[in-house]
Parts: sequence; C-alpha cells; structure tokens
Amino acid sequence: MASSRRTGRSRLTLALLILTSLALLTLDFRDSTIISAARRGASSAFSPLRGVAETATGPFTNAWHGITGYGDLQDENDALRAEIDRLRGTAAQDEDAASQLAGLLNQLDIEWVGDIPTATARVVAGPLSNFSHTIEIDKGSNSGFKVGMPVINGAGLVGRLVQVTADDATVQLITDPDFAVGVRLVPSGAPGTARGTGAGANLIVDTGLESDASVARGATLTTSGADRSAFPGFIPVGKVVRTRSGGGGLTLDLVVRPLADTEKLAFVSVMLWPVAP
Amino acid sequence: MIPEGPLVTATRISLLLVLALTVQIAVASRIEVFGVQGDLMLLVAVAAGLAAGPDRGAIVGFAAGITFDLLLQSPFGLSALTYALVAYVAGSLQDSVLRAAWWIPVATAAAASALGVILYGVFGTVVGEDLLDLPLLRIALVAGLLNALVAPALLPIVRWAITPSGGMRPRTMAR
Repeated sequence: MASSRRTGRSRLTLALLILTSLALLTLDFRDSTIISAARRGASSAFSPLRGVAETATGPFTNAWHGITGYGDLQDENDALRAEIDRLRGTAAQDEDAASQLAGLLNQLDIEWVGDIPTATARVVAGPLSNFSHTIEIDKGSNSGFKVGMPVINGAGLVGRLVQVTADDATVQLITDPDFAVGVRLVPSGAPGTARGTGAGANLIVDTGLESDASVARGATLTTSGADRSAFPGFIPVGKVVRTRSGGGGLTLDLVVRPLADTEKLAFVSVMLWPVAP
Repeated sequence: MIPEGPLVTATRISLLLVLALTVQIAVASRIEVFGVQGDLMLLVAVAAGLAAGPDRGAIVGFAAGITFDLLLQSPFGLSALTYALVAYVAGSLQDSVLRAAWWIPVATAAAASALGVILYGVFGTVVGEDLLDLPLLRIALVAGLLNALVAPALLPIVRWAITPSGGMRPRTMAR
C-alpha cells in the first residue's frame, strides 16, 4: 500500500496551497494593483449576469420571502401605513426648516448635504456570502462614480463605494463590521464613531461621553462631516436604541438602529462627493 | 478507457467552478434561511475532497476559494485558504465515507461545510476582520444544513468533473 507516500504528497500539496494563500493575503494587504484589477475584471464579467439573475429569479425569491415571512409582511405593511401618515405631517415642517437651514449654512459658507448632487442606481445583487456585507449596483464610473463616494437612500446612510468598474459598483454597507463612520449626536453634537456589527444588527457607537451621561432613546445621529472625514456632514445614520457602558466602564457606548434598512434595498443614491476637482 | 489529459480535467473543473459561482450569485445568495445563505463554492470544495482525495481535492478547493474571492471584498485568499483546508479534511475522510451508506457523504458535506464556516471566521479574525461579532455558530449550522440539501445533486456532478470514468476514486493512484 502506497498510502504513506500519498499522505506525504497530499500534505506537501496542502502546505504549498496554504503558503500561496498567505502570499495572496499579504499582497492584498499591501493593496496590490494586480488583485484589485483582477477583482474589477471578475466583477465586470459577472455584471451582466447579476442583472439577468435579478430579473429572472426576483419573482421566485420574492415568493420565497412572501411564504417565509407573510405575517411579518402584513405587520410591516400596517406599520408602514401609519408611518407614512406621520411622515406626511412632519414633511411640511421639515421642508421649511431645511430651507431655513440651507439659507443659514449658505451665509456661513458651509456645505449642506441637500445641495450635493446624487445619482440613483438599482441594487442588482445582495451579499454573496454569509461573511460579505457588500451589495452590487448597476452603475459605475460611466455615471461619475468613484471609490469612496457615500451611498444613501431616502432614510439615511447606506454605505460607501469600495469598488467601481465601468458599469457597476460595489457598496460596503454600514452594517459591515469593518465599516466605521464619524457621527455626532443630535442635538448635543457629541461626537462618536459608529461601527457595524453584521447584517441586520445594530451599530455600536463609541462616544467620548462619561459613562453616566444620559442620552435619550430615539435620539438621532448624523454623520459628523468633520475635517477630512470620509463623508459629508448631516447625513442621517440611525437612532439610539439603548446605551451601554464601554471603554472599560469609563465611557458610554450607544446601540444604534440604522435608519436605512440595508437588508431590503432596491434603489440607492450615490452622492457625487467630493465633487470632481 | 483512454486516459484523459490533465488539461481536459482542468477545463472541466474550471467550467464547474464558473457554473457554481453563477448559481451562487443567481440563486443561492438570494435564498436566506434565518438570515443565512448556503455556500456552493464551499460545497464544491468539500465534494472535490470526497471525490478526489486530499491531494487533488485541496487543489480544487483552493481554486474554488480563489474564484469566490475574486467577487468578494474580503481579504483576497481567505476563502482559498479555508476551502483548501476543508477539502483536504474531507478528502482524508474519503475512504471511510464513500463506501458507507448514501447519507454519510451528505452528512459529511454538512459537517465539513459547517467546519468551513467556523474556519473562515477564525482565519478572518486572525487577519483582522471583525467576524467574531457575527453569529458564527448559527451561520455554520444553517449553512451546513442548506449545503446538505444541495449535496445529493452536487456530489455526483463534482465527481464526474474530476473523474468522468465514473470511478469512486482513481484506483491507479496506488503506485
């Protein structure tokens, strides 16, 4: 029986494969242009497929979601109707407040988020694996998109562009554990950093607040827009669900529910920011 | 039986990988159970181990991982590392598994898939991804079960792609 030789050979193969993986991982950490080019190439190659798959399997996956979550859908529908009524009421007020704010910021020469041009794109694929927190959209550099641009929807911040090819782009969602964004609390203005903790989960915000500071439940957080920040200010991010102590009990962490439901996105808007120099 | 060149086998396996990736994008990634989706590329790696043994299985697993890595934004090579190891482990069980009852390869595919998820989480954390915040055990269990559902269909296809002569494993290997 030559099994010991076979074992020896397969162990050697495995060792070589592991070394190759580690070499690739190292290359990737050094931001190898070869790897990012290969990824953009693969993404472009599969991009037509995503659109077709979205159209072809959409009805079936919708049916699947309908079957597995019918009760939820009904409840959600009722909740949404109530929400719409409430929002109609506040929209008029907000419009007035927004125009006043825009006027004031304009006088102070501060950029207002409402003035940044956006482009709408369709979501053609959700996360591809259980560990991926990115989605694909159907527009890319041909629409002026660049890596790093903020992505929003009607509710608030969705994520940022991490890969752009000619006709599609990849969005890293705010729920990605690797995602971090500078935020500030409304109305106190207390700064913090929001981090994702996985699909459908709440964000955690590290603040510099004392651990006994009180933060109202339901308080809103927006992007801070601090100097050299990756995002412009005033984009709504989420609402405080509860607080907990962090930083070894010295500071306060906020548990924040994102305003944008990143699990059910159909369309998103990419903010063309920073606007091309 | 005319022996096939390695190029033919490699082409067939490449086609299989592209096809599996297509199904992952078009179907598998859109069907979530308890917020978890199946992982076809991982299942291909496991099936390759079961069909071809640890040596060639690990190579196919590595190729499956690299193919998947190309479309993910996670560290490049992380899936390749994980899938090669899982295929190796599955391949080491090959002898005892393939001669047993039909459900044993399926159960092995489920267990190896779950192992793959855990390994990915651990390796990912080692290279700096914050994956331990995620419900790893739940993902492993559900992904393992989903993969087990697909395994009876996928195992024969992968076996054919690797050894089309229909042999459970190449008996000429013992040299």
